[in-house]
Amino acid sequence: MRKLINLGPLILLYYLSISEIDSHFENYFEILSFNIQLIIIYFWVSKRPEALGGGHIFFAGLINDVIMGFPLGLSSLSYLTVSLVANYVKNMTVNTRITTDWFTFFIAIFFSNLIFFILLSNFSEIEINLTEISYNTFFTLIFFPFFWFLFTFYNSIITTDKHA
Amino acid sequence: MSSSRDDFGIAFRSALLQRGAAQKFSLVFLIFIASIIFFLDVYGFGFMKPIRSIINDGIYRVSLVASSPSRFIPQTTGSVTNLFNIKSENEKLKKALEVYRQKELSVEYLTNQNKNLRKILESDETLFQFQSNTIISKVLIDKSSPYLKSIIINRGSSSGILKGMPVLDKEYLVGRVVETNYLSSRVLLLNDLNSRIPVTFGEDGVQAILKGSGGSRPVLEYLPEGYVVEEGIEVFTSGKDRIFLPGSPIGTTIENGKVKLFSESSQLSFVKVDLSKQRKEAF
Repeated sequence: MRKLINLGPLILLYYLSISEIDSHFENYFEILSFNIQLIIIYFWVSKRPEALGGGHIFFAGLINDVIMGFPLGLSSLSYLTVSLVANYVKNMTVNTRITTDWFTFFIAIFFSNLIFFILLSNFSEIEINLTEISYNTFFTLIFFPFFWFLFTFYNSIITTDKHA
Repeated sequence: MSSSRDDFGIAFRSALLQRGAAQKFSLVFLIFIASIIFFLDVYGFGFMKPIRSIINDGIYRVSLVASSPSRFIPQTTGSVTNLFNIKSENEKLKKALEVYRQKELSVEYLTNQNKNLRKILESDETLFQFQSNTIISKVLIDKSSPYLKSIIINRGSSSGILKGMPVLDKEYLVGRVVETNYLSSRVLLLNDLNSRIPVTFGEDGVQAILKGSGGSRPVLEYLPEGYVVEEGIEVFTSGKDRIFLPGSPIGTTIENGKVKLFSESSQLSFVKVDLSKQRKEAF
C-alpha cells in the first residue's frame, strides 16, 4: 500500500497523459484551459524528485504527443524544461514557500511554453494560436496554489507513512 | 560577482547532469533524445511513419481502456436518473408504438417507392450515392485540447481510409482525415485553427473559405469585396477542392461571418468516412 501511495504522482502523470480526462473546459468558459501535468512535474521534481524520474517524464510526454497529435518529443521537451527549472531551483534554495514556488513555477512554464511554441511554429505545419498558449499559461499559473496545497498534503502523507 | 556566476553554473550543471537515486538518465541526455525524436518525426523520415503508426495504434487502444472509468461514471449517473423516468417513458412509448403500428401498413409502399427513386438517382454524383460508399467509425478518443481540435476514430488504412477523406456526422460534414494508422485515424475538425474548407452559401451561390477559429465557431473568409453575411443562411461544401462532395451541409451563418455548425464536435460518438471521392493521398 505504501508503495502505491509513493507511486501516486507518477500514476497520476501517466493517467492524465493517456486518458481522455482533459483540463480544457470550453463548454463552461471558452478560454479556460490549464496544464495539470506541468504542475505535477514542477511540484514533485522540486519537492520529492524520487517520485518522478526523468525517464518517466520523458515517456509521459511522448504519450501526450501521440494522444494530442503533436510531433513526437515536443511535450517531452516541454516537460523536461519544467523539470530542469525545478531541479535548478531545488539545488539553489533551501526553504521554499508557496510564493517563491509560485514565482519560480511561472519562470518554468514560461520557458516550457516558449519552447513548445517556437518548435511547433517553426518546425511543424501545425498552426497554433499564441493567445491560446497565453491563456493556458495564465490559468495554469492561477491554479498552481490549489494543487500546491493538495500535493503538499499528499507529500505529508507519504512522509508520515515513511516515518511510521 | 564571479562567485554568484560560479554558483549559477554549478547549480545549472548539477540540474542538467545530476541523477537521483531512482533516476537512470540525466536530464541533458533525455532532452537530447527528445530533440532527436522531434526532428526525426517533423522531417518525416520514411522509417518514422510505420513506427509512429504502430505507436499510435497501441497508445490509442490503451487510452481507450484507460478512459473507460471516466466514461463509466457519467454513464452510471445517467442510468440512475433514467431509472426514475422509465415508467412515464414506457407509457409514452406504448402510445408511440400504436402510431407506428398504424404506419407499418404504408411502409411496404414507401419501400418500393424508395427503390425506384434510388434507381433514378444512381447515375448522379449526389449524397445518396456517396452515402453508400461510407464506412461507420467509432470515436475512440475526443480529448479536448486548447490548441488542436481533433478526434481519433477506430478505422485506419486497413479499412481503406486515406488522408484527406471527408468525415461526416449523419449527413453533416465534421472534418477530414489528417493522419492514418493501420487501425486508427486522426480527424481534424472544422473548428480547428488549421482547417480550411471551400464552401458556398446563399441564393447567389457565394463562394468562400470556412476557416477554423480554434473556438467553437469557424469563420467565413475570402468573401466577395464588401459582402455582408446575413444571419441564418445555410452553408454547404462547394466541392471546389475536389476532396469534398458539393452540397454537404455544414452549418448556418451567425453574426460577424461566423458559422454555427450543425454537428456539435464535442458530442461525436460515431462518424462516417466518405471513401468514394478520393482514391489516393492528396496531402
